[in-house]
Amino acid sequence: MSDPAPLSIEVRGLRKAYGGLEAVRGVDFTVGRGEIFGLLGPNGAGKTTIVECLVGLREPDAGDLFVCGLDARRQPREVKRRIGVALQSTSLQDKITPREALRLFGALYGGGVPADELLARFDLGAKADAALDTLSGGQRQRLALALAFVNRPELVVLDEPTTGLDPQARRELLAAIGRMKADGCTVLLTTHHLDEAEELCDRVAIVDRGRITASGRPRDLVAAAGAPHAVALRVAAPLEAAVLARLPGVSDLRGDGTDWRFAAADATAAVAALGATLAASGNALVDLRVRRATLEDVYLGLTRGEEVAA
Amino acid sequence: MNALAEHLRISLRLHFRNRLALLYGYLFPLIFLVAFWVLYRHERVPLLRHMGELLTVAVLGGACFGLPTTLVSERERGVWRRYRLAPVPVWVVITSTVLARYLIILTAGLLQLGAALALGMTFPEHPLSLWVAFSLVAFAFIGLGLVIAALADNVPAVQALGQCIFLPMLIIGGVAVRLAALPEWAQHVSAFFPGRYAVEAIQGCVTGPGLPGLRFSLLALFLTGAAGCVAGARLFRWDAQQRFARLPGKVWLLPAFATWLAVGLLAEIRGRIAVPADAEPPPAVSPKTAPANPAVAPTPSPALLAPVAVAPAPAPVAPPAPKKPDPVWMKITAADWEGLDYRVPPDHGVVSPMAAPDEEMDDFVKEQVDKVKERMATWSPGADGDELYCIRNLLYVAAVPDSIQLPVERYLPRLVYQHLLDTYPRENLRKVLTYIALHPLEGPVLDDISELGVEGSAGDPMLVRERAYFYAIKFLARVTGRINE
Repeated sequence: MSDPAPLSIEVRGLRKAYGGLEAVRGVDFTVGRGEIFGLLGPNGAGKTTIVECLVGLREPDAGDLFVCGLDARRQPREVKRRIGVALQSTSLQDKITPREALRLFGALYGGGVPADELLARFDLGAKADAALDTLSGGQRQRLALALAFVNRPELVVLDEPTTGLDPQARRELLAAIGRMKADGCTVLLTTHHLDEAEELCDRVAIVDRGRITASGRPRDLVAAAGAPHAVALRVAAPLEAAVLARLPGVSDLRGDGTDWRFAAADATAAVAALGATLAASGNALVDLRVRRATLEDVYLGLTRGEEVAA
Repeated sequence: MNALAEHLRISLRLHFRNRLALLYGYLFPLIFLVAFWVLYRHERVPLLRHMGELLTVAVLGGACFGLPTTLVSERERGVWRRYRLAPVPVWVVITSTVLARYLIILTAGLLQLGAALALGMTFPEHPLSLWVAFSLVAFAFIGLGLVIAALADNVPAVQALGQCIFLPMLIIGGVAVRLAALPEWAQHVSAFFPGRYAVEAIQGCVTGPGLPGLRFSLLALFLTGAAGCVAGARLFRWDAQQRFARLPGKVWLLPAFATWLAVGLLAEIRGRIAVPADAEPPPAVSPKTAPANPAVAPTPSPALLAPVAVAPAPAPVAPPAPKKPDPVWMKITAADWEGLDYRVPPDHGVVSPMAAPDEEMDDFVKEQVDKVKERMATWSPGADGDELYCIRNLLYVAAVPDSIQLPVERYLPRLVYQHLLDTYPRENLRKVLTYIALHPLEGPVLDDISELGVEGSAGDPMLVRERAYFYAIKFLARVTGRINE
């Protein structure tokens, strides 16, 4: 048996147009084995097209795609045998049960993980024989995820896996995705939820208008962007804007009277100066919150604030 | 193979969980059957003569509406897109879908056949051949269903396309309206529709000669099905986003419809277009009518065994038959008439009515009956020739007015019966009537008795044959003492 490929995904110069619209305009990225990699971007950025080209649903106009060491354009069926996919745009028959769906897809892969094992792993045992149209959104998503695992995949591709889920279901699903990494599986996911990308992904790529505008580890992206801290405060007595504007490194000042927000290039210096100013004027601080820059701030900066979250 | 078997199993299970599919697939054909039986032409119809049409309509519904509706709605929902993510080839999906639909249609056909038997229909003549013919009909229309699924981008388009094929097939394709009742131009058009061959194939196995006489129809169905399945597989779309208009390889549609054209042209070349009414299926003859004497076993009409071809219309009055030294009906024995099925429509009904001996008639009817009575004694078809020839023609004197529901329809059978009693010895009468009941397709049909003063003709010789058969049974019941008047 040959050594597994060091890269699970390698994309070079991927292009795809629909009529006159170029959806993907020369995309390059790699995903290492065992990584959780996130594709972030607003609606229409091209991330779903990238994923669909990778999993064999669309034929690229140009570019090289290697998945699990295989040429995805020349060996699509072999690639499909080695990956698991859960796409938002797919569905199952209304009356099929989770157990039947898992058995069916196991058979389509030529024998897969026993249905009972997946039902237990994705907490679907209680609904194993219930029709799909009686399942909740979270249960359906877990079933979609279970189906992606039916062939013991080396790589799992998840398209917007948490969309439409309530907070509890979302937490459970994120935990399940986290366990995939522990199982040694590579995960490629697309998401609108920047917090979950920051929490789950080892690396992310931000896609905008068919191109990757930034990629790397979330914390590296934030640090490289040099984004300021966000400061929010409430004081006991009304405060003039001019007082706050004089604080060191303050920008983007918004608010009125007792409630204010601003960005601080050096949060430590700004907060220290704020304390001194309030003490001198006999005013009191009621509430103070300082938040470091996040992936969202980087994302907003790179995508010019278009459609941040669904 | 495991993938194919599992998908087949799931497809069937899901079908039986879909109440609407069950309603359309199973209940509607049954409703259609019962409604047809009860309501058609205000009289009960011998279902055996119409199983070709009834089963074909059931197959059409399941294959040309049920199959593409399921395929397209699943495509619209993204089900096939999900399948496409798995390493499953198209042929596995198509084959399992076709097999599942075949089994669904087969069970619907069996249910319809069972219901017809429960309603009193006699058993088909060639059950195994019927299964073969039915399977080919299902194959042909399933192919067509796959083509519709390939053409339609959404479910409303399936309905529209299905109706575009279904309705012409029903009306001028020989499925709902009998070919013999169609004008000549429509008979030519029907040769280009597979529905015609479906009805011919099924009916030919229910009441006709079975597979050997149906080779052309079976070949037409096979070619239609094969071309449809190939085109359906080549144009199969996994994804609703793949619109038909933008689909490559649309040229694959050509073989599907070119087959219809080729079959129609071949039928034209081989002279299989016009349908003589005599080539219609025979009236329902119960297995109970099987003769005790093999020498007089019933035989189908030669017209049924020959390829369907243009045939001259029956002469209004047949020439006298040559006298035979040893009439075939002489071999009839009591066991033969004892073995007949005497369950025929009642005397007071609308089919083969018969007045009571002392029943009064109004002046107009009496005038008509008297005129017939006066002419009948010297009427050549009923007087010149051997007993079999004359008695059969006299039965038509009762059958024709019944077929066209003339006011004298109740009274002429009584007149004919009395004439037979007055003219022939009882023993001969019993044998000849029994022979006619066992051979309802023999001899030319007399559909014009205007020489007797009765105007009009049924235009459907098989209907006249059927009514003559009923009267033969009714008269026999009287001359054998089953009915005492």
